[in-house]
Amino acid sequence: MSLLTVAARPRIGVVAQWWVLTCRLIRPSWRNGELVTAVVAPTVFTLGFYVPLNLVMSGYGHGLSSYAQFLMPMIVMQAVAFCATSAAFRAASDAEDGLTVRFGSLPMPAAVPLAARITAAMYRAVIALAVAVVCGLVIGVEFYGSWWDTVGFLAFSLLVALALCLGADLIGSLAKNPEAITQVLIFPQLILGLVSTGIAPAHQFPSWLQLFARNQPVSQFVYGLRALAGDSSGNAGVVGWSVLGPGLAWAVGILVVFGALGVVVATRRSA
Amino acid sequence: MTTTDTRAAAADLPIVRGRTETWRLFLPQTVIQTRRLLLRWWRDPLTLVQSLVFPALLLIVLNTVLGKQVSTFSGASALYGSVPMVALVGVMSGSLASAITLGRERDQGLLARLWVLPVHRASGLASRILAEGARILLCTTVLFAVGVLLGFRFEQGVLAGIALFGVPLLYGLGFATLVTAVAVFSAKAALVEAVSLGSSIMMFFSTGFVPLTAYPRWAQPIVAHQPMTYAIDAMRGLSLGGPVRTALLATVAWSVGAIVVFAVPAAVGYRRASRR
Repeated sequence: MSLLTVAARPRIGVVAQWWVLTCRLIRPSWRNGELVTAVVAPTVFTLGFYVPLNLVMSGYGHGLSSYAQFLMPMIVMQAVAFCATSAAFRAASDAEDGLTVRFGSLPMPAAVPLAARITAAMYRAVIALAVAVVCGLVIGVEFYGSWWDTVGFLAFSLLVALALCLGADLIGSLAKNPEAITQVLIFPQLILGLVSTGIAPAHQFPSWLQLFARNQPVSQFVYGLRALAGDSSGNAGVVGWSVLGPGLAWAVGILVVFGALGVVVATRRSA
Repeated sequence: MTTTDTRAAAADLPIVRGRTETWRLFLPQTVIQTRRLLLRWWRDPLTLVQSLVFPALLLIVLNTVLGKQVSTFSGASALYGSVPMVALVGVMSGSLASAITLGRERDQGLLARLWVLPVHRASGLASRILAEGARILLCTTVLFAVGVLLGFRFEQGVLAGIALFGVPLLYGLGFATLVTAVAVFSAKAALVEAVSLGSSIMMFFSTGFVPLTAYPRWAQPIVAHQPMTYAIDAMRGLSLGGPVRTALLATVAWSVGAIVVFAVPAAVGYRRASRR
């Protein structure tokens, strides 16, 4: 009677495991509509807000050289928010199907599936950001800052995307209900998106709402992006800590808090 | 032991003799099924939020963020555009939710289960139409109530006020026929996204969002002739005042057109979905 001999563990590195799991999420994105959503969502948002509101807002005044320039950060924010929604959907589907538990039983570091999901979400974010920038250029947005400012614009957008995707992934993993989560996430997206300084300047809000509209995170992201894109009128804000600081603080704060919580949830081996 | 119990229980059940699939019993059967659908909708907090709370919130936010600017631009309160518009958006997202429910009931075999019961064949589809109508009226009422709180007024009297409810009802039934026809043949997640993106585009390119003159020249014909604009213009006329006839006739044409075109595919698809 000899004990069952256990085969030697295949020696696969963490990087290879992460790459395999990332490809699992990226490959079907050509067919299951994720890529289409990443492309269509910023386009729909650009058409839907720029075309009807251009004349209305230009008449009412927004302080920049064109409404396109004013709206650009909001187009980016919407693109990024849609990616966060699909990130939540993916995390919730994996949790609902029991795949997360299954992965937890496999010989790999517990944070690898999380890392793979976030990588796939960032892949969608990069595409959505590219489409958003193209949409902006089509409606006449220009980047007035230096090369470094434009690089900063893209980097800042991706940082916000990373923070939001981490948060959405955590919510999705905990909720385990893909359909419910996408509908529930519409609320913060709607409220924070519309009640921000991305569509109308803060002083056009009712006075009781101005404090919130000015200081909520989406507005702070918008201020940062607007300054980095610059404007010929010179009203976009000066690139510096006073404008970029609060937005960066929000993004890094969300990143750290939700990232840490996400790792805790992912490494907790019981489901 | 168990078999005796089951037998005893079965003996207590009412026994039906004679045909039950008659036109005389069609009405009570439809009412029972309608009640089932409405109860199901009422007890699911998520769809309730989606079809009642979400449109109301959208109306409040739109009015707060853009109401002043649009009112200044058009010279009349923006609410007379945004209340009808959001009512229609609510109607459309409600139909979408019920189309998803229909797809799920098909996948779970519930439709097939109902199909083998001795009830009139038409009662299944008829109950869905009736439930849809009841839901549209309730959602519209809630939304008009929120609108009145914000400053929307029925300025054309009682009769126009009643007609005001007829427009979203007709529009909603037309849209529901379309969505049902699509959903019974393919209830995929892609359908949901396509229909929601499509209805968002329709919302942004309608005269309920901003007046027609705010759109660039190339977009104006599209905005002017799409079904949502007609329904909004009809409702604006019935509440604020102004010409109603053309818009109302065009709404009837669009809605009845959608019902005529999609009723047969919807019925055929429903039958097919029930028999799988």
